[in-house]
Amino acid sequence: MAALAQDRTISGRVTSADDNQPIPGASVVVRGSTRGTTTDANGNFRIQATRGQALRISFIGTTTQDVTIGNADVINVALKQEANALNEVVVTALGIEREKRQLGYAVTEVAGQDLANSQRDNFLNAIQGRVAGVQVGTSSGMPGSSSSVIIRGINSLSGNNQPLYVVDGMPISNNTISSNNFASSRAASGQSTENRTVDFSNRAQDINPNDIETITILKGPEAAALYGVEAANGAIVITTKKGRSGQGRISYTNSFTWQQTGPLPKTQRVYGQGNNGVSNNTNFNAFGPRIPENDTLYNNAENFLRTGTGQRHNLSFDGGTDRYTYRLSAGYTSSEGVIPTTDYKRLNITLGGTAKLTDKLSLESTIQYINTDNRKVSKGANSFLIGMLSWPVTDDMSNYLNPDGSRRRATVGNTEVENPYFDINKNLLRDRGNRVVTNVGGNYTVADWLTLSARVGLDAFSTQYLIKYHPESNRSGGVIGGALDQATDNNRTLTAQYFATLKRTFGKLDASLLVGQAIYDYRYEVLATRGEKFLDPNFTSINNTDPLTQKSLSTLRQRRLIGAFANATLDYDNTVTLTLTGRNDWSSTFPIQNRSFFYPSASLSFVFTELLPDGGLRKALSYGKLRFSAAQVGKEAPEYATTQAYENQTTTGGGFSYGFTAPNPVLRPEKVTSVEVGTELKFFNGRFGIDAAYYRTTSVAQIIRDLRISYGTGFVLKTINGGKLWNNGIELSLTAEPIRQPNFGWNTTINFTKTDSRLEQLAPGLTEFYNSDSNVYSNIRNGSRLGGPLTTLTGNSYLRNAKGDILISPLSGLPLTETVWNVVADRNPDFVVGFLNSFRYRDLSLNFLFDIRKGGDVYNATESYLYRTGLSTKTLDRETPRVFTGVLKDGLENSDTPTRNSIQVVPYYNNNFYTSLADETFIERDINWVRLKEVTVRYNLPTSVLGRSRIFKSASVFFTGNDLFLLTNYTGGDPGVNAVNTATGGSGGFGIDFGNLPLPRVFNAGINIGL
Amino acid sequence: MQYKKLTGLLLTGLALMLSSCNEYLDINNNPNNPDKVEAALLLAPIENQYVLGIQFDARYIGSYVQNWHNATSGVVWDAQGYTPSSDAGGELWRSVYWKGGRNLLNLIDDARAGQKWDYLGVGLLMQAWGWQMLTDVHGEIILSEAYDLDPNKNTFDYDTQEAVYARVVELSREAIQNLNRADGAVSQAALARGDVLYKGDRLKWKKFAYGLLAINAHHLSKKASLYKPDQVIAYVDSAFTSNADDALFTFNGLSTADASFFGPVRQNLQVYGQSTFITRLLDGTNTAFGGVKDPRLPIMLATSGDGQIRGITMGQGQSTAASVPLPTRVVSPWGTQLGINPPAGTTGRYIFTDRGPFPLMTYAQLQFIKAEAAFIKGDKATALAAYRKGIEAHLTAPYVNVSATDRAAYLANPAVVPTAENLALNQIMLQKYIAQWGWGFLEQWADMRRYNYDASVFTGLTLPTTFYINNNGKTVQRLRPRYNSEYVWNADALAKIGGLELDFHTKPLWFTQP
Repeated sequence: MAALAQDRTISGRVTSADDNQPIPGASVVVRGSTRGTTTDANGNFRIQATRGQALRISFIGTTTQDVTIGNADVINVALKQEANALNEVVVTALGIEREKRQLGYAVTEVAGQDLANSQRDNFLNAIQGRVAGVQVGTSSGMPGSSSSVIIRGINSLSGNNQPLYVVDGMPISNNTISSNNFASSRAASGQSTENRTVDFSNRAQDINPNDIETITILKGPEAAALYGVEAANGAIVITTKKGRSGQGRISYTNSFTWQQTGPLPKTQRVYGQGNNGVSNNTNFNAFGPRIPENDTLYNNAENFLRTGTGQRHNLSFDGGTDRYTYRLSAGYTSSEGVIPTTDYKRLNITLGGTAKLTDKLSLESTIQYINTDNRKVSKGANSFLIGMLSWPVTDDMSNYLNPDGSRRRATVGNTEVENPYFDINKNLLRDRGNRVVTNVGGNYTVADWLTLSARVGLDAFSTQYLIKYHPESNRSGGVIGGALDQATDNNRTLTAQYFATLKRTFGKLDASLLVGQAIYDYRYEVLATRGEKFLDPNFTSINNTDPLTQKSLSTLRQRRLIGAFANATLDYDNTVTLTLTGRNDWSSTFPIQNRSFFYPSASLSFVFTELLPDGGLRKALSYGKLRFSAAQVGKEAPEYATTQAYENQTTTGGGFSYGFTAPNPVLRPEKVTSVEVGTELKFFNGRFGIDAAYYRTTSVAQIIRDLRISYGTGFVLKTINGGKLWNNGIELSLTAEPIRQPNFGWNTTINFTKTDSRLEQLAPGLTEFYNSDSNVYSNIRNGSRLGGPLTTLTGNSYLRNAKGDILISPLSGLPLTETVWNVVADRNPDFVVGFLNSFRYRDLSLNFLFDIRKGGDVYNATESYLYRTGLSTKTLDRETPRVFTGVLKDGLENSDTPTRNSIQVVPYYNNNFYTSLADETFIERDINWVRLKEVTVRYNLPTSVLGRSRIFKSASVFFTGNDLFLLTNYTGGDPGVNAVNTATGGSGGFGIDFGNLPLPRVFNAGINIGL
Repeated sequence: MQYKKLTGLLLTGLALMLSSCNEYLDINNNPNNPDKVEAALLLAPIENQYVLGIQFDARYIGSYVQNWHNATSGVVWDAQGYTPSSDAGGELWRSVYWKGGRNLLNLIDDARAGQKWDYLGVGLLMQAWGWQMLTDVHGEIILSEAYDLDPNKNTFDYDTQEAVYARVVELSREAIQNLNRADGAVSQAALARGDVLYKGDRLKWKKFAYGLLAINAHHLSKKASLYKPDQVIAYVDSAFTSNADDALFTFNGLSTADASFFGPVRQNLQVYGQSTFITRLLDGTNTAFGGVKDPRLPIMLATSGDGQIRGITMGQGQSTAASVPLPTRVVSPWGTQLGINPPAGTTGRYIFTDRGPFPLMTYAQLQFIKAEAAFIKGDKATALAAYRKGIEAHLTAPYVNVSATDRAAYLANPAVVPTAENLALNQIMLQKYIAQWGWGFLEQWADMRRYNYDASVFTGLTLPTTFYINNNGKTVQRLRPRYNSEYVWNADALAKIGGLELDFHTKPLWFTQP
């Protein structure tokens, strides 16, 4: 009672010791009590406390201070910045926090706040441009599209190149369902669903950006030393927000979104449907006569697309004492795309807590529940985009049904394309999921030199997928009376790891040793069913299909891994740190004799500025570090590749036959070896910084999946250890704070990435590795040749004579094309740059991020399609006679006097001219772009305004724009899309643009409120 | 000290864990499907895929041998050409190597181990038949190096056609030995479990084996040193004795998965219209049979909307000009409009239905082989008898079934069945052609190549006015091996036999050469 009587209000202000700027959000806690608060936007706080008690004031990146309460009612604290970054801590593998100065390899952190403020539904898309060496690509501009993240280039020819996703120390699934899990893979040929036509979400995007405290990106296989094979492509380590001790806080954020389509390809509107200048409505070719001037023309594309809208709401509660904290958050996102009917909805509920049970034992746990619902439209061939562009301008596309309700066609004959209105209204592509990601971890301090840690994680999800093609659809399902594919997947990723950390100091030498073990158990099961011939064409249910056509497919994939690891760190005088790791994995995916494999790593960090005398250079260079590391990691094989199983046949009489892929009973792990050197320099107390890295990764004994082979083997594909490849790159990150004034600040970051790769070896006798899924239109595909980069495209090119002249058919005057596939393009950009700026003026801030790319080829398959069908604006000069430049293939082509082609063609009368061009014509070379990925203007309401209400601790309003503009020399839509989804391995389908929706321009506006 | 103790303890713990971990990790056998099954479960898919392989490639071979032509003019296959960089014409390659292939080897192993001599015989015969069909279509094929188990082997050399022909004989003989056996686990009920074609009747399979030997031996008719007409006749006499022995494959025909490739549900024939050549053979305008109208005309061929029966001339397509009204255009083998998918409810006709049947080898076909062999030998009486049996067998086949009156009239017509003295080679070859129309593409093509598309043997047969550009004016002799198997992944071996030449498809096969 007496103590209470002595309680009084202490107020004060927390500022930065470096520039006297207020620090908002600093934590102020009365030690030994549940009482605590945070500072407001102006750094002010008020708290009840008693004389003799101590206030602990802390803020990320500063030195924590304790102040004992004496007589004064006002306590102002200036927190010192940890400018030397000496104590800067990052979360690395296993959730272990390490001092950044000790690390001998590159790590980059992105604040969860930045991801959340980017207002992306999929936080992965917000990483693009923020981190050197990381490329994020989306499969299309539809809501819920899958995103591919490639860290430091392609390391695997055919396997997965996606990083490992880790939440609070434990791996989670980033699965994208692959089309071969659908029962349609058991339907007759031509009826199956392929990765190039459907796109389902990748599961990493389930995470709510508002729940993320930080993301650490571990770029190289160094990360794998502790995470094992899964992290051979790097790791994205997500640390979720935890409650902060002190008074409970409520915060609420919302945003409202409008989106418009990005740049669409243009089509000609002069010539009508037909062939060779003659009107003809048997197909969609626009090689007909000129459209009479008084005909009505329709803007079918513009009329079809809509302005997408969306909203997001995030509400969180957190608080706690210095022993216990909690955080509960709920987030809801709803986004409707520019294509009618497409949308993405996600609900996240996250509960997290930490507890210090005793001085020795601490526990923490999070549980996330996620519900998603995503509706898309198929892409690729027959996609809405192709339909929209092909539809005759003289016809109103929105009139998609006949009066009797049947599908209205624009052609007679077999070449009708799907009317996009029909597609969106009558076909369906949808996934709905429920997911729980949870983990529990504990630390027990046995002695001051020994800590035991253990953690268990579970990622369980189930998603239901639906693909429906209406009986009258032009897609494959249409011709068989409609088709419905339905699948439910069930994932269970169970992970456990425990380790002991031993620490000891010998004079100036700090030594620590970590020894532990991990068990990862993956189980993924899909139950799929398919039915054809709808009874009621408009009702979506498997019960509505002809029972005789129903097929089911059950797929179970199981994979287990046991790892034992050790990590020794020797730190001499805070200057030189040597880290050695070793890990042995036992993977279920290999034959017994090759199951166990060991891989080591070593890294060295040298903070050379520690050795420099104060003054002199030290005045300018406040921090300087050199990094060296070498690491090796094994990579796993796909499941079930070592023995073969029969597949049930649906042909007459049933029975079993072998599938496509030959087994490989001698499969062994891929070995990836990476070497990295780098430096971190900070000048003028961190006002200017450079982080540079060069790496080279060599991968041998590549596990090449689904390699085509001669059928003479008895199989169509095989999986072998064959290739060798390397991959190198330079990453440069420059940070600067040119202006640091109390009322005005400017921070800028430039991230530069340049990569190169080479395929050095394939299996004997093979010269090309290609991915057939990427061959989306005509004859161009993702194919790598021996001695060339991994990012090339191979395809159909012109037939040329020894001098390089194009050979022309003496019969038609049109060019001839090769029958073999040649390298026709390299998609790898010369470099990419992320340019990030943030300005602050009083309570107003402005942030923007540019994504810049220089070079790299793009296959404009959409244009190829438009050209070949006479829709391209480049076909407008069709009435102009021309002679194709080249020499006749008349037997003299390689003589000294080849016959120059003089055969004149008027394409208007001979539209073979447009189809005779080799596919290589549609490669657009050296595509550059500047993209405004993101721009945010935010206004923090000043305390003077908030103070009056006494309810809000903080409040701000903001506007954010995503992908607002794109400057590019690309003639098509958006050169940044991807032809396949992330379920396709290898270098995938980036740089192949066919019927994909460009990234939309998105406008967001909303508020943040803190209570 | 404490460190050492603790480290020791941890290491012991690890060692204990690892000893039990092998069991924990033994989960890499595919749980979704079996990795070992008995012969009965392997046979049906192989039979199916052989049939589908023939049907797939028949779209192109059928154009070469002028069973039908594409509704669009100038299609490469109608100019005896091919589609470059495409698997078109490579389906049988896939059926034999992959769908037969190791499945067949496993079937044979299981049969041998389980003393299932009937399965063993059928298995060996399926191998022989596969090689025979494949070599007749492609010439040199991978034989001795096929199914090599070395995962690092990437080049598979080709064997000569002569070697393949010898292997077919060897396998067929071994098959016959086993099909003769009734001991061990041989049982009609057991064989019927996997045998869609003959429902477990091993004696019919034995006859099939002799039929295959007859085909194999007879193809050598141009080789004076190797051709033995008496042997051919003997093989035919041990083979089918009536239509009841015919190898007719009947599909379930319930969905695209289990229907005939030629059925309307599969939608593969809508761009093919019966040829002028077959139309003229049957409607009497071909001079070979003295203007006699064949009673099979309305049964085999499809009637246009106006009731007329027309054909497409090679390479000319079907005009869609307004001046050619729809009812006067050639229709698909199902009788539906060319160029569009068959309307819902189309059941098809003749052997072009979802269920088939699809003949693979018939009594009629073998009788014509006997007739030709006897004719070459100079035994015209035997030739005539077999010729007449061949025609009669086809007229009475369940899928033709000409009325008794029409049949009698046709057979009695001396323009069709002359005296032994007057029997001509072109009559034998053309009646054989008619009896194989719509299914016997491989044998029709073998015949045409043996006589090098000679219009004096195949009366009324015309060659394309313009050959495909890479033919250099030569007739087609073979299909190029499957593109995505051989041109892309076995090009080194292919180069050795000239397979990379643009006119490889015009290079004559061994069996057609003297």
